[in-house]
Amino acid sequence: MRDIVVFSGSSNRGLAERICDNLGLLPGEIELKKFANGETSVRLCDSVREKDVFIIQSGSGKVNDNLMELLLTVSACKMASAKRITVICPLFFYSRQPESPASKKGIPFISKKDKHEFLHSTSSVPCCASDSSKLHNGVSVKSVLDHNATTCEDISEQHRHHPYKTWVAQSGTLIADLLVGAGADHIVTMDLHDPQFQGFFDIPVDNLFSKPLVQHYIVNYVQNYKDCVIVSPDAGGAKRAAAIADSLSMQFALIHKERHQRSTEKPVTAIGLGSCALAPTASTDNLIITSANDGQSVASTIDDSSNTSCAGENVVATTMLVGDVQNKTCIIVDDLIDTGATAMRAARLLKEQGCSYVYVIVTHGIFSDAALEKVRACDAIDQFVTTNTVEQRSHIKQYGTADGKGLEVLDVSRIFSEAIRRINNGESISLIYDQGW
Amino acid sequence: MSLRYSKNSIKIISGNSHPELAQLICNRLSAPLTNIKALELSNNEDVVLVGESIRDQDIYIVQTGCGGSEKLNDYVMELLLMIRACRTASARKITAVIPNYPYARQDRKDKSRVPISSKVMANLLQTAGCDHVITLDLHASQIQGFFSIPVDNLYAEPSVLKYIQTHFPDKENVMLVSPDVGGAKRVASLADKLDTLFALIHKEREKANVVSKMTLVGDVTGKVCILVDDMADTCGTLCKAADLLLENGAKEVMAIVTHGIFSGNAVEKLNNSHLKKIVCTNSMPLGKTLQQCSRLEVIDIAGTLAEAIRRLHNGESVSYLFNNVVY
Repeated sequence: MRDIVVFSGSSNRGLAERICDNLGLLPGEIELKKFANGETSVRLCDSVREKDVFIIQSGSGKVNDNLMELLLTVSACKMASAKRITVICPLFFYSRQPESPASKKGIPFISKKDKHEFLHSTSSVPCCASDSSKLHNGVSVKSVLDHNATTCEDISEQHRHHPYKTWVAQSGTLIADLLVGAGADHIVTMDLHDPQFQGFFDIPVDNLFSKPLVQHYIVNYVQNYKDCVIVSPDAGGAKRAAAIADSLSMQFALIHKERHQRSTEKPVTAIGLGSCALAPTASTDNLIITSANDGQSVASTIDDSSNTSCAGENVVATTMLVGDVQNKTCIIVDDLIDTGATAMRAARLLKEQGCSYVYVIVTHGIFSDAALEKVRACDAIDQFVTTNTVEQRSHIKQYGTADGKGLEVLDVSRIFSEAIRRINNGESISLIYDQGW
Repeated sequence: MSLRYSKNSIKIISGNSHPELAQLICNRLSAPLTNIKALELSNNEDVVLVGESIRDQDIYIVQTGCGGSEKLNDYVMELLLMIRACRTASARKITAVIPNYPYARQDRKDKSRVPISSKVMANLLQTAGCDHVITLDLHASQIQGFFSIPVDNLYAEPSVLKYIQTHFPDKENVMLVSPDVGGAKRVASLADKLDTLFALIHKEREKANVVSKMTLVGDVTGKVCILVDDMADTCGTLCKAADLLLENGAKEVMAIVTHGIFSGNAVEKLNNSHLKKIVCTNSMPLGKTLQQCSRLEVIDIAGTLAEAIRRLHNGESVSYLFNNVVY
C-alpha cells in the first residue's frame, strides 16, 4: 500500500477497525471531541502530506454531528496538504429525503393533491360553518386559521391570493456540494437509496453493492434456497430484489402498497403548515418527525397532528401481494430499515398469505425510534439479517439471542477494504460489484 | 429603461434555534414569520417544508449558534438546508442572520493539522447559497475575510454603552475590565466612549476551557468593576476574574457579555460566584438560564438586528448602527 492513511470518524469505528485489519494497517490517529458549547473539534495526529487519505464515516446516529465532523476532517486533510481525499460513507448522509415525511402517528405532514383540492374548494365557494355538507373541507380549514382570520370571507380571500402547495426541500445536491466544497475528491458508498444521487456530484462516486454478500448468505444459510421466494416490500426496491432473484434463479414476489382516498367526505383537518391528509409516501420506510426536537413550534405541530382523529380513517391502504408464497420460505430484501414499519407490514402480509418462514435482509439497519424492539417483538419476522454499514454492536446486544432469533450481521468490511486497495492502486473496482471480494 | 421589481417584500424565516428572537425581529418590522419550517426526522436528519411562495423575495433566516453538544450541529445543518431550500424556491436574495456565529473561536490553525472551522463554516454557508450574512460581535472580526460575500458584523457596544450609562450614572466609580488581552480593544473603545478608566487581566491557558493563571493590570481599589467580553461560555474566566478583582480591592464586580452561551455547569458557577450581576444580550435563547440564575439580566438586541435588516433591505447604510442604539 502506497502512501495511504485511513481515518475513522466516530460513527462506525467497528467497521473502520475491520477495514484497517483487512488492509493490514493501523487506523490513522485522529482526535475527535466536542467543546463545551457543542462545537465539534478535529485534530489529525498523523501527517497526511502528499498522502492518499481515506475517511470512513457513516450517516447514522447523530447524523448532523457526524456530517460536521466529516466535513471538518476533510477540510483538515485538505489544509494539511493531502494528495487525495476519499470519503467512505457506507450509509450515505441524507440519502433518503422523503417527499412527505410523517408525524408520530404515521400521518404524512403534507399532501400535495389534497392541499390543492381544499384550496380549490375554499376559493371557489363561500365557506361558512353553517353551509351544506359539501363544504366540509372549508369548515375544518377555518378552525385552524381562526387565530389570524376572523371571518370566513377572510379565509377564502387569503387562499384566493395565496394558493400554494407545501413542498419538501430535497437536500441531495446540498450534501454533495458541501462534501465537494470541503475538499473531498472521491466518494465511496454502498447501496444508495437513489442511484440518481451519484449525479449530484461532480466528483467520482463509487456505489458498491451488498448484493454479493446477500447472495452468499442466502446460498449458504437458507435451507433449500432454490425453493424460497425473494420478496420486495415495495415497488421502489423491486429492481434490487429482482436482481438477486435472477442471479440465484429464485422465484420473486412483490408487495404493492396502494393508498387512495375514501370516497366518503370526512373533514380533513389542517395542521401545522397546511393540510394534513394522506398521500402515497415515496419512501420505502416511513420517516417520522420526532418529538425529541425541542423547537416549540415543531412540538406543537406534532401535537396537532396526533389529534387529527379523522385523518387515519380517511384513507384505505391496500397492500397487495403479487406472486405465490403458500408454504414457502420468503426472503424480504430491502436497502434500509428505519422505523421498521415497511418490513413488519410486509412480513405480516406474507404470513397471512400462508408463507412458512420469513427472513428479512436489509443492508442499512438504522433502527431509529424504538424500531429494534418492535422488530424483535414482531412474530411475523423469523430471522433478521443486516450489515455493519451502520454500527450494530449495541443493536446486537439489545436484540439478544433468546429463542434462537438473534440479529445476524453480515460484514461488509472486506468489500470496502478491497475498494480502498483498488482505488489506492488505481485498479478497476467494477469487479467487486459482482464478486464481492 | 430600468428594470423594477414588482414586489419587494421582506420574508423572515425562523430556524428552530431561537424562535423568540425571530418573533421579536418580526414584531419590530411588522412582518409575519414566513411559513417555512425545519423539522427533525426519526433518523436524526432534518427536513425543510416550504409552505409559502418566496419567488423573487428578500429572505432573512434567523438562526443562532446555540444548543450545546446536543443540538449545535443540527442547527447548523438546519440553516444550510433552509438556505438551499430558499435558493431552490427562486428567492432573490438570501441573508443569514446569525447573531452568534458558530465555530467562531476555531478561527486559526493554532496546532498543526487542525481545520480552520470558522472558514469551513463560511464555505458551507456560501456553498449552500447564502448571499449575505448579518452577525453580531464576531469573536474575531477577521472572520469576515473568510467570506467572499458581504458580512455585516454588528456591535452590541451601543446597547451596552446605554446600559452602563443608565445603570451607573456615577462614572467616576466605574472601572471597565477586560478579562483577557484579546478583548482589550473592545473594552478600550467602550471606556473611551464612557470616558472611564479600564484595567485588564492577563490569563494563561493550558487547555481549551481551562484557565491556569491570571494577573491584573491596573488599580481597581474601591471601584465598581464591570467585566466586558464578547461571550460567556463555561464562565470559568469570569468567575475567576471576579475573585481576582475582589482580592485586589474592588467594591463589587459585575459582567456584561454579548453572547451568553452558558454551557456545562456555567449557571451553577455563576450562582456560586462573587459576580453581583451578569448581563448579556438575547442573541442566544436564555429561557431556562434566566429561571435558574437570578443574577442574569438581558439586553434586547432584536432592535439592532431588525434595523439592520430594514436598512439592508432598503439599501441604506448600516454603519449608523455601529454607534447608535435603536429604540
